Amino acid sequence: MEIKQTALAGTLESSDLQVMITNGNDGIQIELESDVKKQFGAQIKATITAVLQSYDIEQANVRVVDKGALDMVIKARTIAAVQRALDIADQPTWEVL
Amino acid sequence: MATDERLRRTMMFVPGNNPAMVKDAGIYGADSIMFDLEDAVSLAEKDAARYLVYEALRTVDYGEAELVVRVNGLDTPFFENDIKMMVKANVDVIRLPKTESAEMINQLVAAVEQAEKEFGREIGSTNVMAAIESAMGVVNAYEIASASDRMIGIALSAEDYTTDMKTHRYPDGQELLYARNVILHAARAAGIAAFDTVFTNMDDEAGFYRETELIHQLGFDGKSLVNPRQIEMVNKVYQPSEKEILNAQNVIEAIEEARQKGSGVISMNGQMVDRPVVLRAQRVMRLAQAANLVDEEGNYLGK
Amino acid sequence: MEEVRDLFLRIPRVKKEWQTFLTQMGINDFGANEILAISEVIGIFVDGKLIATGSLAGNVLKYIAASDEAGNSASLFNRIVSELINRLRQRGVFHAFVFTKPQYVKSFEHVGFVTLAQSTNGAVLEVGKPAIQDFLAQISKPKPSDKQIAAIVMNANPFTLGHRYLVEKAARENDLVYVFVVSENQALFSSQERLALVRVGTHDLKNVVVLSGGDYMVSYATFPAYFIKSPDQVIDYQTTLDARIFGNWIGPNLGITKRYLGSEPLSHTTNIYNQALQRELSGQIDVEIVDRKRQPDGNVYSARMVRQMIAEQNLEATKLLVPPSTYSFIKEHQTVLLERIKKGQKIDGN
Repeated sequence: MEIKQTALAGTLESSDLQVMITNGNDGIQIELESDVKKQFGAQIKATITAVLQSYDIEQANVRVVDKGALDMVIKARTIAAVQRALDIADQPTWEVL
Repeated sequence: MATDERLRRTMMFVPGNNPAMVKDAGIYGADSIMFDLEDAVSLAEKDAARYLVYEALRTVDYGEAELVVRVNGLDTPFFENDIKMMVKANVDVIRLPKTESAEMINQLVAAVEQAEKEFGREIGSTNVMAAIESAMGVVNAYEIASASDRMIGIALSAEDYTTDMKTHRYPDGQELLYARNVILHAARAAGIAAFDTVFTNMDDEAGFYRETELIHQLGFDGKSLVNPRQIEMVNKVYQPSEKEILNAQNVIEAIEEARQKGSGVISMNGQMVDRPVVLRAQRVMRLAQAANLVDEEGNYLGK
Repeated sequence: MEEVRDLFLRIPRVKKEWQTFLTQMGINDFGANEILAISEVIGIFVDGKLIATGSLAGNVLKYIAASDEAGNSASLFNRIVSELINRLRQRGVFHAFVFTKPQYVKSFEHVGFVTLAQSTNGAVLEVGKPAIQDFLAQISKPKPSDKQIAAIVMNANPFTLGHRYLVEKAARENDLVYVFVVSENQALFSSQERLALVRVGTHDLKNVVVLSGGDYMVSYATFPAYFIKSPDQVIDYQTTLDARIFGNWIGPNLGITKRYLGSEPLSHTTNIYNQALQRELSGQIDVEIVDRKRQPDGNVYSARMVRQMIAEQNLEATKLLVPPSTYSFIKEHQTVLLERIKKGQKIDGN
């Protein structure tokens, strides 16, 4: 799937995560800003990558600001951002849930 | 009527798009947790809140709490996806806002049933409840309360109701007297739970106790809450007295004795014990256990 | 409970409450030039009391402040910034700037902002996409044979023979010249019109590339300065930041070794700007201030004079000041230009 438009989801509040997705041409590139980047950076990126893969997205630039989000929050925010990026915010993709 | 007679003293509101509150909602000991997709979520974040609550329901352990989701109204473009996603997430109860008629409950139930079929959930396993937020809702309270076997309760939502009544909330609650009584009667006649409205002034502790004592006295099952601090306060009001507990223990004992004797009739002090008395005794014991006033064997521990 | 609410500054009571709060937080400048551009203001209230606020002026975040009375200013700050970014998203805007005091740079970086330039009095940061790297990536890079690379940043409102003279000189003395046309919509000639006139007017100069300055070469006078205490420091802060954005990003990325400026003997602020550029870019980019070309009668070729002549409907006179391409544009668009002036479009300034 192709990213149709730049999209943003989530907030900068505690326990949340802000994800911005833009179109890319170099695979999935994730830039992460997090206080716990050292400890959990790889895990956060893996969760985001898994969501993108479930949508068959192969090219995307993802910019993430993490404020201590649990895995389920990372997943929920990434799904919301992807749905918006694919311009199907009001049509949930049931298979990926 | 899908009543299972669980305790529903406290139903805590949790804004559906707030990860910090969603993740911690289980730690305060609320009997019910109500994730809000409606008023607490801005229009531009309806989609994001839905995914957040979905993931939370799928992954977070909320212990024994009954999990409720307030969906967006029937007339909104969000309703259908709210229902589908929450049914898919195995939520216990769907709360419909601004309910005014049995027909609205029928529409809700039809949407829920369709979602159950679509996602392979057991038909009938999703319960529903109605929030009454208008004069019309109060007038139709009984038909709403008895509209479906899936109904577990009705709740008064005073903010919109008082606006509809061309008034606002007052400290003494006179403006809610009629609605409270009607909703309570409708719930009792239909055999479901009745929930009182929220109390938002966090600084007025005395006012909160006054209101909670009033609705406890009237017979409400419990109260909707916006702040976890209020949970302990409600539970305190709802905790049974020593006399109630000791009496309830006698009733329970009489039931047990009748069961052992194989008798169809429960008697105590030479009187027949009828069903409402039994139910009340069971409820008192549940309240006593929840308040840690009795041990596992039912022995009174004192306060 | 904390709640985020819109603040409607048109209601005097609301505006007063907002200003009082900001004043307590050390922000005192509510000048019209800062306030007028604001399209949205939000506040966080607790029990009816304003404890944090932030605003949007286009894609610039302004007047951000969070009270630390309850020890939670960091979380209030994050909430305000987050809400503003989400509001931009709802308009399809994913790129924002903030101009702020140096001590808040870390707070913004912590929520994903990138510092473009910083000075003792203030800093400019951006967040989101397209970012400055994206702006630079879409500019065609110099060929290996281009050794001497120069840049000119101009407003060209409109493109005159004076501008042409400067570009010609740079083109003669360098292998490649980037001409950046400042995007600014307050001008009589729109950004697109000015860009087009520069392009056409330099078409014959094969080693000249004309580009829009995008978000990164704007009129420095538009940099928000409400948080700068002393008015004397404002011009220094604005020009220094402008120079440093060029020196940190534009110059190194495009291999620019020289920048040409037209002298402005009569403008005090332009002189300060030119000095700031020379100071900030020294050792990196050679800044040459070129004396303005003069007409046979001794007057300089001035875009401001051209605009004055348009206002006076004296088109013939402009012929002597602008290249034929600009002249024919003015002639064809005389009615539109006059209408803009009538509607209150200012024609003075640079």
